[in-house]
Amino acid sequence: MPLSSPLETIPIKRTPFQNFWRIFTQNRMGLVGLVALIAIILVAVFASALAPYDPYSSAGINSSDIYQPPSPEHPFGTDDAGKDELSLFVYGARVSLVVGFFASFISLAIGGSIGISAGFFGGRTETVLMRFNDIMLVIPDLALMVVIIALTKPSLWNIILVIGLLGWTFTSRIVRSQTLAVKSKKYVLRARAIGAGNRHIIYNHILPLVLPLLLVNAVLVISAAILNESALSFLGLGDPTLISWGQMLNYAFARGAMSAGAWWALVVPGFGIVWVVLALTLLGQGLEQVFNPRTESHHLVETKREERPVPAVLPGPASSAPQPLLTVTNLSIEYTLSGGSRALAVDHVSFTLQKGEMLGLVGESGCGKTTLMLGLLRLLPAAGKVVSGEVDFDGHDLIALSEEELRDVRWKGIAIIFQGAMNALNPVRTVGDQLVEAIRQHDPGKPTAALEARVSELLDLVGISAERKGDYPHQYSGGMRQRAMIAMALACDPQIVIADEPTTALDVMIQAQILELLSSLREKLGLSIILVTHDLGVVAEMCDSVLVMYGGVMAEYAPVDRVYNAPQHPYTRELLKAFPDLADPGKKLSSIPGYPPRLDDLPAGCRFAPRCSVALERCSRDLPGITDLGEEHIVRCHLVEPQ
Amino acid sequence: MSEPLLEVVSLKKSFSAEKPSLFFGGRERLVRAIDGIDFTLERGEVLALVGESGCGKSTLALTLMGLEKPTAGSIRFDGQEVTQLKPAALKDYRRHIQMVFQDPYEALNPTQSIEEIVAEPLLVHGLARNKHERRMLVLRALEDSGLKPAEIYLDRYPHQLSGGQRQRVVIAGALVLEPRLLLADEPVSMLDVSIRAEIINLLAELRQSRQISVVFITHDLGTVGYFADRIAVMYLGRIVEIGSTQEVLTGAQHPYTRALLSVIPVPNPRLRRQRIVLQGETPNPIDIPSGCRFHPRCPVAVEACRVTDPPFIEVTPRHRAACLLAKVK
Repeated sequence: MPLSSPLETIPIKRTPFQNFWRIFTQNRMGLVGLVALIAIILVAVFASALAPYDPYSSAGINSSDIYQPPSPEHPFGTDDAGKDELSLFVYGARVSLVVGFFASFISLAIGGSIGISAGFFGGRTETVLMRFNDIMLVIPDLALMVVIIALTKPSLWNIILVIGLLGWTFTSRIVRSQTLAVKSKKYVLRARAIGAGNRHIIYNHILPLVLPLLLVNAVLVISAAILNESALSFLGLGDPTLISWGQMLNYAFARGAMSAGAWWALVVPGFGIVWVVLALTLLGQGLEQVFNPRTESHHLVETKREERPVPAVLPGPASSAPQPLLTVTNLSIEYTLSGGSRALAVDHVSFTLQKGEMLGLVGESGCGKTTLMLGLLRLLPAAGKVVSGEVDFDGHDLIALSEEELRDVRWKGIAIIFQGAMNALNPVRTVGDQLVEAIRQHDPGKPTAALEARVSELLDLVGISAERKGDYPHQYSGGMRQRAMIAMALACDPQIVIADEPTTALDVMIQAQILELLSSLREKLGLSIILVTHDLGVVAEMCDSVLVMYGGVMAEYAPVDRVYNAPQHPYTRELLKAFPDLADPGKKLSSIPGYPPRLDDLPAGCRFAPRCSVALERCSRDLPGITDLGEEHIVRCHLVEPQ
Repeated sequence: MSEPLLEVVSLKKSFSAEKPSLFFGGRERLVRAIDGIDFTLERGEVLALVGESGCGKSTLALTLMGLEKPTAGSIRFDGQEVTQLKPAALKDYRRHIQMVFQDPYEALNPTQSIEEIVAEPLLVHGLARNKHERRMLVLRALEDSGLKPAEIYLDRYPHQLSGGQRQRVVIAGALVLEPRLLLADEPVSMLDVSIRAEIINLLAELRQSRQISVVFITHDLGTVGYFADRIAVMYLGRIVEIGSTQEVLTGAQHPYTRALLSVIPVPNPRLRRQRIVLQGETPNPIDIPSGCRFHPRCPVAVEACRVTDPPFIEVTPRHRAACLLAKVK
C-alpha cells in the first residue's frame, strides 16, 4: 500500500491496554457482547438475591402450581414440579456458566500446549501430536461424551472434565499455525542469536502473539462447552441434583411441557443459552477487531465528492521543447485522514515528458511519488482525490475525461508497473495465459493465432524465450518475473510506461539486467519512461531529466546533468551527499538529520525547513513558490528566489 | 601480530534438498550452501562479505553464530574451536558475537517495549544484578546507538519508531552484551538513502570507540568502500576474491568482482561507463558447475576454466583471487 508508509510511524504514546480499549470500543458489537456477558455473570453470582424462590427446595409448592403460565407471582411461569421458572433460570445460569468457563479452560490449556509444542518443535513431535489431533477431530465429540458419561457417574465435575478433554482439537490447530507463523519471524532468530533457550523464546516471543488468538478462540470454545452441557443434560446425562439450563430443557421435554402447552418451560432456558452464545459471539468479533489488525478500519477515509476551492495556480515551467507527450500542470492530490482532516499529499507538481524521454522521479518513502503516479491515471485509493491541476496526454486532459474514456488511455496509452508487481502474478495460471488476458482486455476481437504470435513477440522483446510461455510464475526466477511484468505492460503498445521501483528487492546483477532492458526498449520502441526510484545512482545512469520530490512538493526539476552537477535545492544536495559513490570513496557519507514529514503533520512553511541546514526564518513560515532558473531548471526554495 | 579474532577454515554447510525415499530409493540431493570457505578477521577489523542472493552469505552468518551446525571445517573464535561447543558453552560464545538484521521491521517483537527488547539479552545471560543496573545498561546501549535522550524511548513500542530508529534499537540490543564481533546482515538495504548513511556512520563509530570487529554482509559494493577494511566477494558458496578494500575496488582480478563493480550505478551522469552485465542468474547450489563455478557466466572464460577448479592466486600478500586468469603483481 503506497499510503501506509507515511502514516505507519505516527508516534502515539499509549499503553497496550489503552490501545486495546481504544480499538475494542470502536466496535459496537463487541461492547454489546461484553455488557451482555457481564450482565449474565452478575445474574449467576447474585442468584440467591435475585431469585424470588429457592429452586432447590420444594417447600410450599402445591399440585396446582404445576405448569402455571406467567403471572405476577411467577413472571416466567412454573415447571412440571411447580417450581418458579425465573428462579430456575437464575440458578441455572450458575451451572451453565461454571461448566462453560471451566471446561473451556481445560480445552484451551490442552489445545494451546499441543498447538505450541507441535508448531514450535516441529519434526517428530509435530507429526505425533498432529496425527493424534486428527484422530480426535474425526471422533464425534458428543457421541464420545455420551459414552464416557454413561460409563461414569454424571456429576458436575465429570461433565466439565469430559467436555474440557474433548473440546481442544480446533484450538490446537489454530494455535499451531499461528506458532509456525511467529516462529519464522526474525525476532525469534534474534532471540536465538542472543543465546536464549526454547523456554525463554516460547514465554517471551511465541506466547504473547498466540494469546490474543487463544482469547478470540476461547469465546467459541466457551459457547461450545455451554451447548455441549445442555445437550448432555437434555439427553438425560447431566447431574440430576443440579439445575442447569440444559436440565430445565430436559425435564420440560421429558415431562410433557409440549403437550401441556407450557411453552415457557422451553423458552426460558433456551433464552439463556441463546443470550450467552450471542454475547460471546459478539465479544469474539470485538476481540477479533483488536487482535487482527487487518480487519481494523483503515487510517484513511473516503473523500467526500464535494468541490473545494482550487488553490491559486502557480506559474508552470516554460518549455521551449517541442509539444510534449505528457504535460502535468499544477497537479495537487489530497488525502482525507481519519478524523476528517485533509492533507495535500502532492502539492502543485508540474512536469513534462517528451517522446522517448526517461524521467527519474526521486524521493524517500512517503514523499508522494507513488501517489503522484496513481493520480495521473486517477487510480488513487478512495481516500485520495485530485483537487486541482491538469494532466494533458496526447491532447486529452486525463483529469477531465470520463471514467470510460480514461480506461482506454490506461494500459493502451500509459501502462504502469506497480512496485513489487512481480509478486502479483497469478500463481495458478501460466505466464502466457496472463499475457493473453492482458492483450484481450483492450483488444477482445484479436484472433487466437495472432494472440499467440503477439505473446511470443512480447516475451522475446523482454528477453524471455518463447518456449517458456507455458510455464507458471513459480518456475520463473525473480528477474524473469519482473521481465514478464514488463512484457505485460507492453502488451497494448503504450506510449508511456511508468515503472515504480522496478529494481528494488532484486540482486545487483539482475537490477542491471532490468535497467538494460528498459533502456533498450526505450530505443527500440521509442517509449517514454517514468522511473520512480530512490536510487540516485540509477537515475544518473539512465535518465534524461529528474524530478526530486520531498513531502509531496517538487523540490527540484531539471535535466539530469544540472541536478547532479549544479543542484540548487538543499534537499537535493543533502541527498547526493548521503549517497555512496564508488567513484569517490574518500568522500564522507553525510546523513540528513531528522525524518521526512508525516502526512498528518506537514510543516507550515517549506516542508524541508525543519531538516534544512541553511533554512532562513521565513522558510518555516511560508511555502516557497516555484522559481524557474532557465534551462528547464525549476526549484522550489526561498534561497533561489529572486530578491 | 597477535592471533586473529576469528579464523574460519574450510567451512562447509550443506542442506538436504531431497532425501532418498524409503520405498523408492533414489539419491540424496545436497544444497551446498557454503562450499569451502577460509578467512580470518583481525581484532577491530571490518570485513565486507559481498555477494548476490544464493551465494551463501546468510548461511555463513548463521553458521558463524552457531545457529547452524557446519557440515565440515572449523571456526576458531579467540583461539577456541566453536563448532563442537556444548549448549552451555555455546550460549556463552553468543555473548561475544551478535547480529544486526536486514529488516528492522521484522527483527523486533511488536509486543515488547524498547526497554524489554534491549534488556532481553541481559536477562537471558543474567548479566545485571538488579533492575536499576539493568536499566542503566539499557540506557547506555540506546545512547551509544544514537537514540538520545534514551529515556524517552524506553516505554515506546516498535511500531511507534521509524525504520532508522528501529535499526538503532536492533543495534542497541546487540551492543548491550558488549560483543566483540558484530555480524551485520544487510543492515541498511531496507532503509531510505538519507538514513542509510546514519547507520553506516554509526557502525563505523562503534568500531572506533569499542574496537568491535564487524562482518558486514551486503550485496551492495557501493557502500562498503566507506567502511570496510577488507572485502570478500562470494559466489555460489565460495569466496572468489578477497583483499583490502582499496585493492579490490581498484584492482579487482576476478571477472565476477569486475562485473559487480561495473554495474554499481554511479551518481554522476557524466560518468556513464561501459557496464559488464552478466547474463542469466546465479545457478542453483544443487548443481554446481564443473571446473570454475563461475565459468558458464564468465565473459572471459577459456577452455581450462571448464575443467580446472581454480586455486587461490596470491595477487599481493593481502589480495587473493580464485581465477586462472588472475595476474600476480
